[in-house]
Amino acid sequence: MSLHCENIVKTYSGKDVLDKVTLDIQTGKIYGLIGRNGAGKTTLLSILAAQNPASSGSVTLDGQRVWENRKSLEKICFSRELNANAESGLAAMKAKEYLRIAATYYEGWDKPLEERLVKLFDLNVKKKLGKLSKGMLSMVTIIVALCSKAAYTFLDEPVAGLDVVAREQFYKLLLEEYSSSGRTFIISTHIIEEAADVLEDVIILHEGRVLIETDTQAFVDSAVHVSGKAEEVDAAVSGLEVHHPETVGRSKGVTVFLKPGQKVNESRDVSVQPVSLQRAFVALCGEEEGKS
Amino acid sequence: MNERLTEQKSIYLQISEMIETDILREILLEEEQVPSTNELAKLYTINPATAAKGVGLLVDEGILYKRRGIGMFVANGAREKILAKRKAAFAENHVAPLLAEARSLGISKEELLTMIGERNV
Repeated sequence: MSLHCENIVKTYSGKDVLDKVTLDIQTGKIYGLIGRNGAGKTTLLSILAAQNPASSGSVTLDGQRVWENRKSLEKICFSRELNANAESGLAAMKAKEYLRIAATYYEGWDKPLEERLVKLFDLNVKKKLGKLSKGMLSMVTIIVALCSKAAYTFLDEPVAGLDVVAREQFYKLLLEEYSSSGRTFIISTHIIEEAADVLEDVIILHEGRVLIETDTQAFVDSAVHVSGKAEEVDAAVSGLEVHHPETVGRSKGVTVFLKPGQKVNESRDVSVQPVSLQRAFVALCGEEEGKS
Repeated sequence: MNERLTEQKSIYLQISEMIETDILREILLEEEQVPSTNELAKLYTINPATAAKGVGLLVDEGILYKRRGIGMFVANGAREKILAKRKAAFAENHVAPLLAEARSLGISKEELLTMIGERNV
């Protein structure tokens, strides 16, 4: 099984939000979708889940187009960030009713898991969505995602508004569900460092384009921070892909992305340090003018 | 097994080193079962594939072995093997950085040896 999208373009009022996105989502992996605000993450997930039409391009599940295809859509769950303001019409709905609707939609709904999670999160399901805090709304979206049992499950900012204990609980629950079911998850998040070790693959979306789609560890291992006297640093990284240079007086630091077989010239008097996924992401997407 | 993960090293290497350290300290005994990759994944909140990679490394080195359908076990002689490996790497991992720091501080070899002599191993 695989979920595939090919050359997805999405244009909103003349502006390309997604620009020829092609991805092959393999079964049984946890993907992280990271990108800055406005990079197109939510748009991409909603198109993959056929909740939003692409301007052009196609999304297929096992070769079948997913758009208006009930059979494919039963295997896909996109648990959106809930925005229970008055206009959305959700504000007056009780959390309990929202979960009941989700349960009718997904054939494989796991009712015992729903009950366990409601208890674990201490969620008052009799409350109206409009009365829930941001963190509690995130809990509702997490419950929908995990209990749907959908083969492909997308979570958009699932940990937004959750406290650090609840975030850790979420990642443990996700791993538990993933280990026991082998479902495929795509998770978008801005809290990159906490998620980094959970994500097998990382997709970096930048200004509507996929910059990186690779094994998270391989991506992190390919990036190093090189620092020292400016001339020494320049000599050590000459010919390499350099991002995000920062200088203070005579001292300079850069982030380098190494291609297979490349190495920093360590005969120079420089420090070479590993970087985290978050630092690598910032180096790649954080400073356009920093590219050289 | 309850050390914390750091950002300074690949996670799978840290997983294999933690298992090794537990074997050295006899927290894990030879012929005893080690936690499954799913258990490790949940404990450290890491992807099971990463945990599997760390465990796989130790299988390749003959420190752990697989019993089909049951799980991973500490091999006979694993402790000796780890000791030998860590001793072989001791000069590179610990003595070399010590000498580098001594050099940049202008500490002579004699001073360094005196400092070591004054301490109990």
